[in-house]
Amino acid sequence: MIEVRQLTKSYGDRKAVDNISFTVKKGEVVGFLGPNGAGKTTTMKIITGFMAATQGSVSVAGFDVFEDPIEVKRRIGYLPETPPVYGDMRVEEFLTFVAKLKGVDSSKIRSQVDMSIQKTDLGSVSKRLIQNLSKGYRQRVGIAQALVSSPEVLILDEPTVGLDPRQVAEIRDVIKELAGHHTVVLSTHILPEVQATCQRIIIINKGIIVAEDTLEGISKRTTQSSKVIVRVTTSSEALLASIRNIPGVSRVNKDGSFIFVETPNADAVSQQIASAVISHGAGLLEIRTESANLEEVFIRLTSKEEQQGKRV
Amino acid sequence: MKSIWTIALKDIRSLFVSPLFYLVAGVCTLLWSIFFSLSLQEFAESSQMMMNQMGGEGASINYVVFARHISLVNFVMILAVAAFTMRLFAEEKRQRTFDLLLTSPITATQITAGKFLGGVIVSWALVLVSAIYPFGTALIVKSEMLPLVSAYIGLMLVVACYVGVGIFASSLTESSFLAVMMALLGNIMLWFMGSFLESGEGPFWQAVHAQLALGNHFVNFLKGGIQLASLGYFITVIGLLVFVTQRVVESNRWR
Repeated sequence: MIEVRQLTKSYGDRKAVDNISFTVKKGEVVGFLGPNGAGKTTTMKIITGFMAATQGSVSVAGFDVFEDPIEVKRRIGYLPETPPVYGDMRVEEFLTFVAKLKGVDSSKIRSQVDMSIQKTDLGSVSKRLIQNLSKGYRQRVGIAQALVSSPEVLILDEPTVGLDPRQVAEIRDVIKELAGHHTVVLSTHILPEVQATCQRIIIINKGIIVAEDTLEGISKRTTQSSKVIVRVTTSSEALLASIRNIPGVSRVNKDGSFIFVETPNADAVSQQIASAVISHGAGLLEIRTESANLEEVFIRLTSKEEQQGKRV
Repeated sequence: MKSIWTIALKDIRSLFVSPLFYLVAGVCTLLWSIFFSLSLQEFAESSQMMMNQMGGEGASINYVVFARHISLVNFVMILAVAAFTMRLFAEEKRQRTFDLLLTSPITATQITAGKFLGGVIVSWALVLVSAIYPFGTALIVKSEMLPLVSAYIGLMLVVACYVGVGIFASSLTESSFLAVMMALLGNIMLWFMGSFLESGEGPFWQAVHAQLALGNHFVNFLKGGIQLASLGYFITVIGLLVFVTQRVVESNRWR
């Protein structure tokens, strides 16, 4: 549905996006992940036809963004970083205006506006002036605006910024609902968001893609070791030594009553650790395994990139 | 065409619901009311005097009262149009709603045309309000209707030029204040283009400069004659201004 080929965007000498390529299939929800200033917004702006690329090409639904910008824009709903809303308009009025602008058939405008209001739960404020709404509601109006023409592709730049936790959960549900019917690309630097909504992740840092895979794939690929955390009443050197001797344990650290055991295969060693603790009479209080979460993966990927400067 | 109209209507609506429009329109009509009634009174007194002294008909109301009114309207509209048009692009950029327009399936030409149309309609509405004074008077006193009509056609074209200058200025900046200043400067240049350069050069250049000055063409309309050259002049100026604005809007994609 979306094909990005060797895309580069430079601002003077600085390359905001450096030769990136990826494809998004129809109905997929793809998370665009990266620290601030990684080039997420720039890439999204180019996909929407808002901005021209320095090099490379982007096509949406078979239309080249550069050659057929109007056809591409017809198929895209875009939520920029700042929701593009007119403060002096009422919510309903604004959505009607956007629907007209997007070329929605005049007989369908009414129902499309109602649909987007209902999906983003704006019913209670639909008659209010946008300038009087809270940031969270404005953000929702921004999302409603992107949805109002039922576009095939949705590009959402940090859709849940400024929302309270309940609203965040609601918006994530809305995005999940959209999967299948719409192709969604959403950018964020909030990791749980990707975990909650996306099927596939593209991690971008300093303008280049450092990883592109499914959530599980990325975790698997980068987490060589998981952690077993043990809490005991009395930890002795003898206990640590015997844990170190368990086959498969790569590293053991002690911090107060906590013992951190790093191992590639947590399930296999947990039992042995437990029996070692008990045989030393150390008083087992707690034992749990922790696989590296996305946050760690993310930090590892983006900092590895900085150290080595190589492309994955 | 539909999208041009959608944008124009949005801007007309947002101007008509803003206090700014009513403030500007209020000040304008106040000025016009005071000066129109003053000059009408002056004219009545002087023509009474002329009739008593010479037994003639006195001066034409067209030249004394209406022409004066129209030049006041023209002057006031320079300021009013700059105020109306300052927000058309600047505010969209500041509010980031420009992103919405630029990612909608419409061309830069449609956006510019819509904005221009919106600005022209609002400004013409105020010009029409100013027309109430002379046309109302013309109904009850002896006067020539045709020169008045042609003068108003000229006035509307001049105002459309101001709108062109205004949207161009607005397209260049995010700040409404800067847009107003640039629009005023642009309008003044439009008026004095030529007149600074008239002296001291050959007859050919004098003629060229005379053709460039907005005032010279406007005078033709005031005299009651619609000349093709003057009509062409206004259409060219408006077209040029809308065109450069369209280029500025389009260039946003490249920055």
